Amino acid sequence: MNGPFADYKWAALARDWTVFGEGFAYTVLVSLGALLLALALGIVFGVLGSSKWKLARGISRVYVESIQNTPLVIQIFFLYHGLPHLGIMLPVFAVGVLGVGIYHGAYISEVVRAGIQAVPRGQIEAAYSQGFAFWGAMQHIVLPQAKRMAFPPMTNQAVSLIKNTSVMAMVAGGELMYQADSWSSTNLYYGPAYIATGLLYLSLCLPLATYARRLEQQSEVGA
Amino acid sequence: MKRFSAFLLCIIMVLGLFVVGCGTNKQAQSNQGDTAGDIKAIKDRGVLKVGVKVDVPKFGFKDPQTNKIDGLEIDIARAVAKKILGDANKIDVQGVTAKTRGPLLDNGEVDLVIATFTITEERKQSYNFSDPYFQDGVAMMVKKSSGIQSVKDMNGKKIGVAQSATSRKALQEEADKVGAKVQFLEFGTYPEIKTALDSGRIDVFSVDGSILAGYLDDTTTILNDRFAPQQYGVASKKSNAALAKAVDETIAEMKKSGELDKLVQKWGIK
Repeated sequence: MNGPFADYKWAALARDWTVFGEGFAYTVLVSLGALLLALALGIVFGVLGSSKWKLARGISRVYVESIQNTPLVIQIFFLYHGLPHLGIMLPVFAVGVLGVGIYHGAYISEVVRAGIQAVPRGQIEAAYSQGFAFWGAMQHIVLPQAKRMAFPPMTNQAVSLIKNTSVMAMVAGGELMYQADSWSSTNLYYGPAYIATGLLYLSLCLPLATYARRLEQQSEVGA
Repeated sequence: MKRFSAFLLCIIMVLGLFVVGCGTNKQAQSNQGDTAGDIKAIKDRGVLKVGVKVDVPKFGFKDPQTNKIDGLEIDIARAVAKKILGDANKIDVQGVTAKTRGPLLDNGEVDLVIATFTITEERKQSYNFSDPYFQDGVAMMVKKSSGIQSVKDMNGKKIGVAQSATSRKALQEEADKVGAKVQFLEFGTYPEIKTALDSGRIDVFSVDGSILAGYLDDTTTILNDRFAPQQYGVASKKSNAALAKAVDETIAEMKKSGELDKLVQKWGIK
């Protein structure tokens, strides 16, 4: 029996599972780093984007539009191949965290902005009347309420973020997709390789997506 | 209930993939019974479909000015077409990469792959390989400014190789011999490796010597060392035994008549 899914190809996969394990662990690490960065950027620029100062809104707009309207691949290529020509040699792990983190930060900032704008204006006015400054009012009054609105779409962003770390395969990133490409292009056992890789991504993303859906249902009931 | 149906959907998707896999296997088995079926299919179609490289000058290269793909490997494809169909022009070439050439053979999108495809024991399990039509060694390109002269200077250096390339293993062995610690980065295409060399992401660009020659420029140089003979073969789907035989005969005839040597000279390879 031969073909892309022949038994001995699965056996080879089982023998070399550490290659995929290594890539999987790397993908999880890059995703975590990128997610933290994306959340930080998303909250800062989301708050700026919903503030009353024109300049702050402008800065947030420039960030969001320039990142959302260029392909992630180009941003990664710039960080990996472009910056060294300017004398900045980032390690590939940093390229992954920065590239994917900044990319999804732009999307999360829009989610945060929408969440903040969904909180009634009276809330922040009441906070001001109690003596809160802008950032204090945001931190203690507005953001906790915005969180409920923003959380389900944010979790969906986390799912996209995990999947998007796979673009690192194009710059020898060492993550799951790269390892799958590397392993399967040497021995040409691409059938089992990509099924296993797909299942590994599924095992990361499906629980998150399910969680997001449940949060959404809860907030519907609560609202 | 919703969660259960989501779970069910996943199972069905995975099973679906297996069924696709088994389907191709069955087809493969039935083809083995009818040995000339593969040749007949090509004759009925009237054209030989060949996967070639489009980014390796002199072997398989798409000229950006004329948009024509030409090279030694296209000439070999023509010879095979002449043998099977009696007309050297009845070929339909399409570009393949290291990543796509296996799947394209398996799904029948191409009959043959002639794309600087190195013969290895592991690969022979999955595909038929003809006798080698060309032998090359792994070579290394470095920046002139790097001062690297040989493998001995490569301790702590980063080496860019192509995905699917056998050069990684060969170079690792050489580095081990002289006790140099090297790190490998794999890229999907040759231009990407060159870009990485230019940007300093890698110190050494290592693929087969003949491929490397196409990427030489003012700032780079190719070291004299050659490692691990790489033998290129024509690959076909494992079940297409009659086709593999026809290819083997063609290669043997071309070697005997000196036509193969002439072609290598025509393209100015070594």
